[in-house]
Amino acid sequence: MAVETMKFPGQPGSDPDLDMCHALLAQQRRERLIRTTKIGVVWVILIIILTILLLQFNFSPAYVYQHYGFVLAGLPLTIGISLASILAATVLALLGAVSKLSNNSIAQGIAGLYVSLVRGTPLLVQIFIIYNGLPQIGTALIAKGMPQIGHLFILTAIQSGILALSLNYGAYMTEIFRAGIQSISGGQREAAESIGMNRVQILRRITLPQAVRVIIPDIANQFIAMQKDSALVSFMGIWEMTYRANRFARQDSKFMEMFVIAALLYWLLTIVSSWFEGLLEKRMRHAYER
Amino acid sequence: MKKIYIVITLLSIFGLVLSSCSTGPAAAKDKLAEILARGTLVVSTDPAYPPQSQLVEGGQRAATTKCASDQHTSSELTGFDIDTAIAIAGKLGVEACFVTPDWTLITAGNWSNRWDISIGSMTITPERMTKLYFTQPYYTTPAAFFVNNANTTYAQPSDLDGKKIGGATGTTYDFYLAGTLQIPGETINLVVKNAQFVGYETDLNALQDLALGDGVRLDAVMTAQPTGAGAIKDGMPLKQLGEPVFFEYLAGAVDKTSTPDPVPFLKKVSEVIQGLNSDGTLLQLSQKYYGIDLTTAAASFDLAALNQWP
Repeated sequence: MAVETMKFPGQPGSDPDLDMCHALLAQQRRERLIRTTKIGVVWVILIIILTILLLQFNFSPAYVYQHYGFVLAGLPLTIGISLASILAATVLALLGAVSKLSNNSIAQGIAGLYVSLVRGTPLLVQIFIIYNGLPQIGTALIAKGMPQIGHLFILTAIQSGILALSLNYGAYMTEIFRAGIQSISGGQREAAESIGMNRVQILRRITLPQAVRVIIPDIANQFIAMQKDSALVSFMGIWEMTYRANRFARQDSKFMEMFVIAALLYWLLTIVSSWFEGLLEKRMRHAYER
Repeated sequence: MKKIYIVITLLSIFGLVLSSCSTGPAAAKDKLAEILARGTLVVSTDPAYPPQSQLVEGGQRAATTKCASDQHTSSELTGFDIDTAIAIAGKLGVEACFVTPDWTLITAGNWSNRWDISIGSMTITPERMTKLYFTQPYYTTPAAFFVNNANTTYAQPSDLDGKKIGGATGTTYDFYLAGTLQIPGETINLVVKNAQFVGYETDLNALQDLALGDGVRLDAVMTAQPTGAGAIKDGMPLKQLGEPVFFEYLAGAVDKTSTPDPVPFLKKVSEVIQGLNSDGTLLQLSQKYYGIDLTTAAASFDLAALNQWP
């Protein structure tokens, strides 16, 4: 090799393969950016078309601007109910998943029946049962002379809502958690058993830390879904966003405006929650990336 | 290891049962005594019907209030029903607190003592009387005939015999014109015979057809007096024909399964409503929200004729 043609690493032209690699990556990044921008433009155009259509039909944006605060005031209740329910549902789901995978027939039976029953009935029916049906039993108990237990059956609107949502989502999440736990390969469990760990230790130290990869995104996912389902509690008279939009709309008959506000707020809530979920997943991926 | 879990579970169940064994407030001997002891009257309302009941935008919860955290104070709601409830509570010497369940839950009965009384413009009907006790009505919805402004031939409702009369299908006005209307506690005077009833989905559609011209589609419309008056105020070329021909009575309602005994409470509330009528409070409220007197006719309703309790 002549001295003039010798190239040092890092200089452009010194490693044609590396240069080609960089060029390819840059091109891919450009193409991704162009595609994202195109999709963004389509979104903006669609939203503009929708807005123009709405404006044709007597929609009043000024009304929206004046009264969105009233619906916004229901946001803390919506988030509060969803948070409380998702926490309770997670506990229920963990218990359910572990019960379903246990050797104990009683635990398996109870968990199996719970999941099947609750997944097999509509959430609205469950809310009715808890809010209207249980008090019927409670009143009978009180009449029979057991007032303490009887009063336990008569729940307030918010208690009923949280209980119904927790039970419902707990059942669905049980199945996902169970699948997540089962996906941790049996080989790990056998290895752990061979060094003398008992079932609880295996669960706590080996299975659950890895199952968290499946569990946490699902919890976030269900939380996002639950924020919308929490609108169902409005019929019991809780002043969350849907109730406020619904009742206030009747005053000036501006139904479209108020419900657009509610819909936009729910959508914003979902977008923010999804963004947090993305952050959470990126954080968890660190453990598994090189 | 297992034993610990069993012990913990048993302890928590035990704790739950024990915690509910707290001695509650001394049992009151009837609903009225319970309300007076508690200091609040829990009223149910469905704020979906202005001007009877509606939400106040930006209404703040009152700072010092005896209302429970899931009940709303009077500053958060407004309307004819709300003001009536506040007046009734004031006469009883307690604070009015409001809960807002769905209307179907209110009319279904079996409230499980979640609220004391419904003051929500509920019409007294035989089906509702099987589940709820009604108080003395606090206002009425008179039913009246309306004709086109251009008409000069009719002077009173009986002139409408055999004419084309419009109204909403399935309402009390439909039944009146068919001759089958029954309202508890009221003798219906069928002033118009052999009317040709033209049914519409809602009162407003019938009024709009009447506004097209005298006799063009309809000769008259039978509907609630406030509805017709509202249409006239909105500019429709109509006028009321004569006096109202019957009244629907709207009263407060109390669940029959309320414990303890709700009957003394009902009697007291009926007494209070009659008092509010005679001192003019209800008339004032009626003028404020409807611009017409809907309350005086309610005072002459004979509640005892309903035979609600032995």
